[in-house]
Amino acid sequence: MRKAEVVVVPAAEWLDRIAGLVADGYCWLDFLTAVDRQADLDVIVRLVDPASHAAVLVQASVPVGSATLDSLADLLPGANWHERETAEMFGIAFTGHPDPRPLLTRPGSERPPLRKSTPLPARVLTPWPGAEPDSDRASARRRVQPPGILDTWETP
Amino acid sequence: MTVPANARGVIGLIPSACTSCMLCVRECPTWCITLDSHSEQVSEPGARRPKAVSVLDAFSIDYGLCMYCGICIDVCPFDALEWHADFDYAATDRSGLVQSTDQLADWSDGSNSISTISPS
Amino acid sequence: MAATKRAPSYRVASDPSIRVTVANLGLACCTLEVEAAVRSGLLVPDDGTDEGRTVLLVSGTVTEALAPAVSAALTSLPPDTRVVAFGACATSGGPYWDAPTVVGGVDLLVPVATYVPGCPPRPEALVAAVIAGAA
Repeated sequence: MRKAEVVVVPAAEWLDRIAGLVADGYCWLDFLTAVDRQADLDVIVRLVDPASHAAVLVQASVPVGSATLDSLADLLPGANWHERETAEMFGIAFTGHPDPRPLLTRPGSERPPLRKSTPLPARVLTPWPGAEPDSDRASARRRVQPPGILDTWETP
Repeated sequence: MTVPANARGVIGLIPSACTSCMLCVRECPTWCITLDSHSEQVSEPGARRPKAVSVLDAFSIDYGLCMYCGICIDVCPFDALEWHADFDYAATDRSGLVQSTDQLADWSDGSNSISTISPS
Repeated sequence: MAATKRAPSYRVASDPSIRVTVANLGLACCTLEVEAAVRSGLLVPDDGTDEGRTVLLVSGTVTEALAPAVSAALTSLPPDTRVVAFGACATSGGPYWDAPTVVGGVDLLVPVATYVPGCPPRPEALVAAVIAGAA
């Protein structure tokens, strides 16, 4: 399978650059999603050219504090639900989205579930079996953390 | 339908190979493994002083949580964990799915299991 | 949605007095093993009667949104129906035990007669557990 080309664009050029790729033939939306890099979030869209089957990944970074990006929903109607899901899961606002309602989360879920900073209370409250016992081991100074659990998670 | 010999049915323990290093416990994504051990001083003839050795007290896997990923088997540096094809160990209460050292060892000592695939 | 549709039912090929009604409430992984049991003939189509003993097989990850469907499935069946929690998710929430929206085991919703370990359990484990659960 051919590896897709990755095009990194400034957030301000998101809509224009993607409109250009669509005009060049990459008119089929595969997916739109985001990756939490903690200081900022990478929004990624994969576009495919149905004629050649060539694909391109387009990526833009938005800062966590002001996570907004232009909506692609008018240009690519398939992006509508992808953006609704990405918005609620990562806390990103897609400017100009025609229907910015949550897609999957229920009312009352306050924090974006897929942000690494959003704690999983069950993992905070449940004692980790891998914690070193406070016993005779002098080397127990070095605290090992379970993978994926951040120190910044607070006990609810 | 024959059950393949390499089916991921249950995970067995070889207690004599376990050094209580805790790697399996720490790497398990679902936190379903618990291990208790203590340290003992062992004198060896000819050695200037005794050395500290970890002794396994209790090992358990909660098969109600286990997702059969096999990461514990992959990370064990001493091949103390291995797959067996057995599947008929459902329980009538939740605690019946928590298998302790003896039950886990029974799968591996050959007395019980329908097959063993040792880590290569 | 699940409450208005009839849940699929089968009979155990090796003991047709046992009817297995399947509440497929979450992920497809466990469903695939139920399908494999049907396709390999371990489970056969139901005869449509209420004869014999009924087992409700709850399969898949149950979220808060779907929790009412578990109780609804049970109340739609004869009163002596036994519930079998099929797989890690139905037993404890499985790999998703830490998700705030996941119910950590269907025994929080209905009484469970048998817990089947597996992620997913194989079809032979399904039949063995159903026969034990109906006993």
